Amino acid sequence: MATKGPVGARGPAGSSRGGNSRFAQFKLVLLGESAVGKSSLVLRFVKDQFDDYRESTIGAAFLTQTISLDDQTTVKFEIWDTAGQERYKSLAPMYYRNANCAVVVYDITQASSLDKAKQWIKELQRQANENIIIALAGNKLDLVTDQPDKRAITTADAEAYARESGLLFFETSAKTSENVRELFTAIAKKLPLDQAGPRNPRSGGRGGVELRPENTSTQGAGNTCAC
Amino acid sequence: MSSVTFTGEKSQVERPPPVSTPHSLSKAVIARRSEYIRPQKIKIKIGSWNVAACSGTDKDLAGWFADGKNIEPNLAGLRVSTAVEENCSQDHIESIEDQEAGRTKKELTILKGDHGTITGGDTIGIYVLGLQEIVDLSSTKEYIGKVYSDTGPMTKWKKALTEAIPEGYQLISEQQLSGLLLLIYASPAVYPTITSVSSVNVGTGIMWSLGNKGAVSTRMVLGETTSLVFVNSHLASGNDAQILERRCWDVSQILQKTRFDPINRSGILDDHQEGIGDEDFAFWFGDLNFRLEGLPGDDIRRLLMLHTQGEYDVGAKTRNKIEAELENNDSPIIIQGVDSDDEEFGSDSLQTSRAFDTNNHPSSDLPNPDDFVQDPSQDPGSLQAAIDSLLPHDQLRHVQKKKRAFHDGWREGPITFLPTYKYEIGTMGRFDSSQKRRAPSWCDRILFRTRKDKAAYEKVNREELMAKRRDEEMKARGIDTAGDDDDVLYDYDPDEDGDETPSKSEEEPTTGKDFYDEQDEEDEEAMTKDGFVDKIHLDIYTSHQRVLSSDHKPLTSVFSLDYDAVVPELRSKIQAEAARELDKAENEGRPGITIVMDHSQNACETSQNVDTPFTAHEEGINLGSVSFMKRKSRSLTIANTSQVTSAFAFVERPGASGDEIGPLWLNVRFISADEEPSAKQNLKEVVLEPGETINCVVEASIDDIGLVQALNNGTMKLDDVLVLRVTEGRDHFVPFHGTWMQTVFGRSIDELIRIPESGIRSLQTSTTSIISTQPIRWSAPRELFKLTELIERLAERVVADASMLNASQVPKESAGWPFESDSWLLQDANVREEYAAAVVDALDSSGNLGSAFPDVTPAIEKLEVVAQTLVLWLGSITDGLVTEALWTKLETDIISRGTRQLTDAEEIKAWVLDVLSSSPNHNIAFVFLSSTLNRVADFLAPLPRTHLSWKKSPPEGSEARVERHRAIEKAYADIFAKVVFRTRDVTGKEKRVAEERKRYILESFLHAGARK
Repeated sequence: MATKGPVGARGPAGSSRGGNSRFAQFKLVLLGESAVGKSSLVLRFVKDQFDDYRESTIGAAFLTQTISLDDQTTVKFEIWDTAGQERYKSLAPMYYRNANCAVVVYDITQASSLDKAKQWIKELQRQANENIIIALAGNKLDLVTDQPDKRAITTADAEAYARESGLLFFETSAKTSENVRELFTAIAKKLPLDQAGPRNPRSGGRGGVELRPENTSTQGAGNTCAC
Repeated sequence: MSSVTFTGEKSQVERPPPVSTPHSLSKAVIARRSEYIRPQKIKIKIGSWNVAACSGTDKDLAGWFADGKNIEPNLAGLRVSTAVEENCSQDHIESIEDQEAGRTKKELTILKGDHGTITGGDTIGIYVLGLQEIVDLSSTKEYIGKVYSDTGPMTKWKKALTEAIPEGYQLISEQQLSGLLLLIYASPAVYPTITSVSSVNVGTGIMWSLGNKGAVSTRMVLGETTSLVFVNSHLASGNDAQILERRCWDVSQILQKTRFDPINRSGILDDHQEGIGDEDFAFWFGDLNFRLEGLPGDDIRRLLMLHTQGEYDVGAKTRNKIEAELENNDSPIIIQGVDSDDEEFGSDSLQTSRAFDTNNHPSSDLPNPDDFVQDPSQDPGSLQAAIDSLLPHDQLRHVQKKKRAFHDGWREGPITFLPTYKYEIGTMGRFDSSQKRRAPSWCDRILFRTRKDKAAYEKVNREELMAKRRDEEMKARGIDTAGDDDDVLYDYDPDEDGDETPSKSEEEPTTGKDFYDEQDEEDEEAMTKDGFVDKIHLDIYTSHQRVLSSDHKPLTSVFSLDYDAVVPELRSKIQAEAARELDKAENEGRPGITIVMDHSQNACETSQNVDTPFTAHEEGINLGSVSFMKRKSRSLTIANTSQVTSAFAFVERPGASGDEIGPLWLNVRFISADEEPSAKQNLKEVVLEPGETINCVVEASIDDIGLVQALNNGTMKLDDVLVLRVTEGRDHFVPFHGTWMQTVFGRSIDELIRIPESGIRSLQTSTTSIISTQPIRWSAPRELFKLTELIERLAERVVADASMLNASQVPKESAGWPFESDSWLLQDANVREEYAAAVVDALDSSGNLGSAFPDVTPAIEKLEVVAQTLVLWLGSITDGLVTEALWTKLETDIISRGTRQLTDAEEIKAWVLDVLSSSPNHNIAFVFLSSTLNRVADFLAPLPRTHLSWKKSPPEGSEARVERHRAIEKAYADIFAKVVFRTRDVTGKEKRVAEERKRYILESFLHAGARK
């Protein structure tokens, strides 16, 4: 019989190294007021494109995007980009119900959009998967670069709120692509990669996703705003 | 303008596009491997040594294994190649005498002044050390029944090795099985490229699994492309034939039982374990214990000692011993080079003749071979000649040839060194002088094999088997001479022909198989499992003759391996690109549809469009004005505008009454253009090929009174969303909205009497609360007047028609006609519905009820529809003609009367009207209804005129007429009792009692006797 040597412990190069390439699949939902740039963020992230004029989303766009975190780790996002209009609010649970992560977007030039974002975050924290990773994204950073007076929400305020609520926080620009990839990468890094295997995109359940408790801390803002 | 001609091009339906999964991604990445692999070179140094549990062996390790010292070039016949250090002066090397003396003083036996012959240090990428007998296994009682588990020896050897090899080298694997130890270290540059390390022990010794014999093996993957297997084994020891069998058995056990963990390839774990043979390169080394057979051991000892004594300056002490021994035997010996195709290995082949005059001083006689001999094997007096003469007697080569072990592609470098066993410990060249005088043998070996070697063997083996089978078949068919068969070009008999292959020069690596003829000096190319082309070259294969601390001499091999290694940074980049491409293909190849709303339907309505609060909604389905009882439909066209087959369906979404596809009042169905509408109605899921379309009908029909009430009072709006989900695609929201047309249905009496003369629709723009602020305009709902008036008129007309026209017969079978639905002559539900909707519309818009029908409608059909509408409307009145409060009063009176109930119709009517008078509007409405029902009953079944002049006896048939009238009274009481009274919900007996009481009251009002 093949017997493991009693003293033949594996070296550091054993299966814990090298043998741990991972491919994890996660459902991500975008929420936020109408016209804050949810679809634009997705378009930038997935296709690296930007349209100045986009029709509002009637429905929920479904896209996938695979990113490599490092040599060993690949994360595939299944992105549900939802309609932001108030009249479709009641349908949002269809999309965040089994989501592993959510990006709640507001427009840094529209004060009301952060209020709306906060409502979404509250709803997510109450109704969604209890381990959902939520990122707050203040979009349209490009608008305030030249005209700082256009800004309606200071970075500090939003950041403080995000820290309090345990959210990832980025100020982004889908137009210039600033912080877009960083936003999704930060989410991917916070996801519990070890437990999540590939699963049917539309299967119910949590896909065996469990978060490590220590992962609830806030990650610092990745923005480079001068405020 | 250019015109484009479409030439009936068939849209190509593509296969579902690739989707990024772990497998597809990995496949895509591997397909581009040339972009992320870069050629790498590595030197692998393998050391093998049976240390015979001797103390001090660990101290010698650094010298020979790491630094390549203690080679005796004259006895090792080093084949100089890249692995041999050049320019290393051996001038100051310690003499054998000093070295052997040092040994006795318990000092290092590593040569002083030896700078090392073999490449070492940081030129080596991977150090592989296989040791045998690191613990004393001679006393079996120590480990019988228990697996040896002392970590001391391992620790000692690890320490010795880590101190010997350059700093920074990291442990890849440490594996011990009793006396067997396999240690693998890699340089800091190589270490990170090694993955999928798996180590396995296979014991074949006592009790089959204990570790005094067996193998420890390690598998690893280098640069993510090249898998290497290192097997350190100690096979059964002993010289007789039985033990040889046992060694072969040991090998088969090791092969059979060595199972490594599955390999992780680009993130995907192979689903099977691998064994020896699945790798790209294998190295098998250790004390394999194969002996020289067929020669008297003593002869070999003496022959070889001639060399150890003669060819260089053996220390005086040893020389004396050797000389003494040699002189003891005066039979001169020489072992001629024996051809390897010599079938017999018996003692006959050992021809002895006087080759050397042993009385001369051999040391001075024999020339230094380095001086002139270019090919040592050509010099009969050379060491190589002696070695070559012995090798044909090597058991390993026999078992390879006989396909008993190591035959399937295993190769060995040329043996240019003395047998490694068995020496007197502490001496450089003195073979076993104990009683046993064991024959010197090449017990210790380093074999290797490439994937190609194994495949080549298997190919030849298959061909041989097939040839043999053909031969046997022919013999079975009675064709003894293969030449008779035209198909056979070459007659082949493996038994006779197998050995005809000329043996190759012993200079070349021995393959143990005869088919491999084109062996040359070129580096051996080998294709790895994943298709990478790797090259291996054996740089060196030699023994360290001047290591004195064990009775075995250590062996070293250096291999140069050219392989393609993955560059992680490049691979990451390629992987990101591949993932992006897959995502792109996946997203662009996703099924998709386009929904086109048919807005023309809305345009038709603009003329009558009422001011709608929904004008803000640009998108979605505008149902326009939606009325009670009137179906309203809109159609959508759904087209597959994607490149792939698309399946879609309306899915449940969170709604007012839980998860449902849409509100209950909305009917959604697909209608395929080319099929019968009924055939594809209400499809759960529709599948369209690219370019195909389907129609979808969304139909609102509001006939539920509860819903009507909610719409009337504004607690509900005709505004909702359908979700059309494309499988594996996006969700489309299909919002829809309509304007509720105010109706007289589902109202209270109090509301109804405030409706202005222009009808309830004139209040359309007002919010619902306004109706209660309207002044009271009527004593009873005007709708009641209108309906009852028309019913009476129509009933009279119907009876008149019946007497005039045979075609129009009032149904007599059912007493409930025209209020009883079962009795209706107009059974076409669609026509009825249409007529009823028209009547409702007339009521709501304060139109003329009679003209709501098409002109030609027979009165009898009109009557039925209006009668139906009346019943429906009465039932929809929220508080009812007789409210729950009024009913409670009536019931209280009934209960209080106990057994003395009123029986006279007039008395009952008086009592009821007295109770109802507290609510005058309800009272008037009730009286109005009951009198209408009376009249209708009278029209349909006129009673004999009792007040006329027939005093003696009623005219003929009057009895029947009275009976029919009675039946109608009862039937009407039954029908209207259900819609007139509002009572709290009761069940069972209580309900039956309440129904009985309602009929009792209504019958009194309808009773003909009351109108004497």
